[in-house]
Amino acid sequence: MRRRALEIGMATAGAAFLVAVPWLIPALIDNFWVSVITEILIWSLFASSVNLLFGYVGLLSFGQALYFGFGMYGVALGIDHFGLSFWPAFGLGIVSAMAMALVSGVFAVRLSWHYFAIITVVFSLIFYFLAVSMKPLTGGDDGINFTLPPVVNFGGKVFSLTDPTLQYFFVLAVVSLCLFLMHRIINSPLGKGFLAIRDNDLRASLIGLNVYALRLIAFVMAGFLAGVSGALFAFFGRYASATYMFYQVSGEAVVWTIVGGAGTLFGPLVGTALFIVIREIVSSHWEHHSLIVGLLAILVVIFAPKGIVGLFNGWLSRLDERDAGQPAPRRLTLQAEP
Amino acid sequence: MSEAVTSEPVLRTKNLTKRFGGLVAVDDLSIAIAAGRVHAIIGPNGAGKTTFFNLVTGLLSPDSGRIFFRGRDITGYRPHVISRLGIKRTLQVKSVFPDLSVADNLWITRQARNRYLHAFRPAKADKETGLRVEETLEKIGLADLAARPAGTLSYGDVAMLEIGMAIISEPSLLLLDEPTCGMSPAETGRAVAKIREMARTIDLIIIEHDMDVVFGIADDITVLAQGAILASGGPAAIAEDERVREAYLGRPEDEDFMEEALNA
Repeated sequence: MRRRALEIGMATAGAAFLVAVPWLIPALIDNFWVSVITEILIWSLFASSVNLLFGYVGLLSFGQALYFGFGMYGVALGIDHFGLSFWPAFGLGIVSAMAMALVSGVFAVRLSWHYFAIITVVFSLIFYFLAVSMKPLTGGDDGINFTLPPVVNFGGKVFSLTDPTLQYFFVLAVVSLCLFLMHRIINSPLGKGFLAIRDNDLRASLIGLNVYALRLIAFVMAGFLAGVSGALFAFFGRYASATYMFYQVSGEAVVWTIVGGAGTLFGPLVGTALFIVIREIVSSHWEHHSLIVGLLAILVVIFAPKGIVGLFNGWLSRLDERDAGQPAPRRLTLQAEP
Repeated sequence: MSEAVTSEPVLRTKNLTKRFGGLVAVDDLSIAIAAGRVHAIIGPNGAGKTTFFNLVTGLLSPDSGRIFFRGRDITGYRPHVISRLGIKRTLQVKSVFPDLSVADNLWITRQARNRYLHAFRPAKADKETGLRVEETLEKIGLADLAARPAGTLSYGDVAMLEIGMAIISEPSLLLLDEPTCGMSPAETGRAVAKIREMARTIDLIIIEHDMDVVFGIADDITVLAQGAILASGGPAAIAEDERVREAYLGRPEDEDFMEEALNA
């Protein structure tokens, strides 16, 4: 009751804030922070791909940067090499990320736990070094820059992401749509199948779930989320670079997800926002800002294993129990009395 | 007992063999299990009972031999394919989905019978499955605990949930691996009643160490020792069998079993 109200209240406040960002933030701080928030949205979508695998299917991937990189290069090469316009380039980025996820997934999802984690790293390292060495095509560490084509051209009226406000809303819309899709999937029969596999894959196969196929589906879906975020980041930076395929990028997303709350829809957003805001504030004063990141990660893993959102959900549940009037512990003591 | 079978046996194996290194866990086993009866498999620890279940359900593949389910050769099929054909099982160590609620444990077990899981329709919209879950919760007496994560249940309740998962999946053959292991006498009674009820519509094969349970439920008994059939027949014949008594009494390291056999 109170919980429902609180949830609706928070969702409304969050949505209102996100919609008001292009006007609110320049008025309160400065324009720069609009682009920081845009970046947070993009990276939180990337962290969501880790979350889908780890939080809902129980597969810890340290190689999601590979699909982020494919999304990026799909867009950059699409525009720079093939002369594609905006939407086909966007599509190329997403499709190549999903195709790459399908290829590596076929091998990776046969394994679980550390073996799975290792093979995802290996795949991403192979393609990282390939991308670095294929300098004529990829630009290597320097990357390739491109000129942003317009999003739409309405009979002479041109809309392009060079307008920061339009860019912000474009990113917000795409990220929201992806999170909505993820929400639908998590609450579908397929999503429950994912959770069953996360909990007990042996039992899942014995009740008739095709564990391999479901893991592969999840892996390609995660490739989709990473690919979309990579494509968005390419549009955002107007370039693609092999450095974003390095496994450190994958590792950061794992930390953001776990700190924010794996297995919750908004956990990655919270974790990503926290760490990027810390980075932006601290890094100009102190070069060792990653120490704070490490310390926070350790604290959360020890004291809030379900992450910040998990901690909050636990608090909401207790509120619920109190509202229900008959908390479980009290009933137990009543029974214990003669 | 195989001579008494007139129709196709529900489960038949032909020269089934499984080795683990030098150990022969299942040794050239040819067994035919009649439809419409409760079949118990007993035998000392290490006799190959659970390995036999693992072979039938596809968790292990045999080194040689074939397995037939209602006449169909299922040797080498993967576990989920075998499960969808209607062979379900419980595990010796109780095994549910600990972070899912009791209701969701049943829900996904029911859904897993389908070839495909819908990706976009909300799970709640499936009224038919929801109804089945409620029905089953009533049957196994866990309706009050429906929303609790299965990992927080007591041992006996987890065992009942496993039986509920077996019921809701509507198997045509159910393999129960020590269903009453670790249960209190009251819980055992509850479980045995449910198993008897299931046996009216489902073919059952049960591995059990508790001789009271075996002799209370089984129509046929097969005794395994070192991966091969030592004896098989009705409960009365097995109770009388000298070789069976020897097999149990001749293994002093297996104290549980000695006691069990003596009490039987």
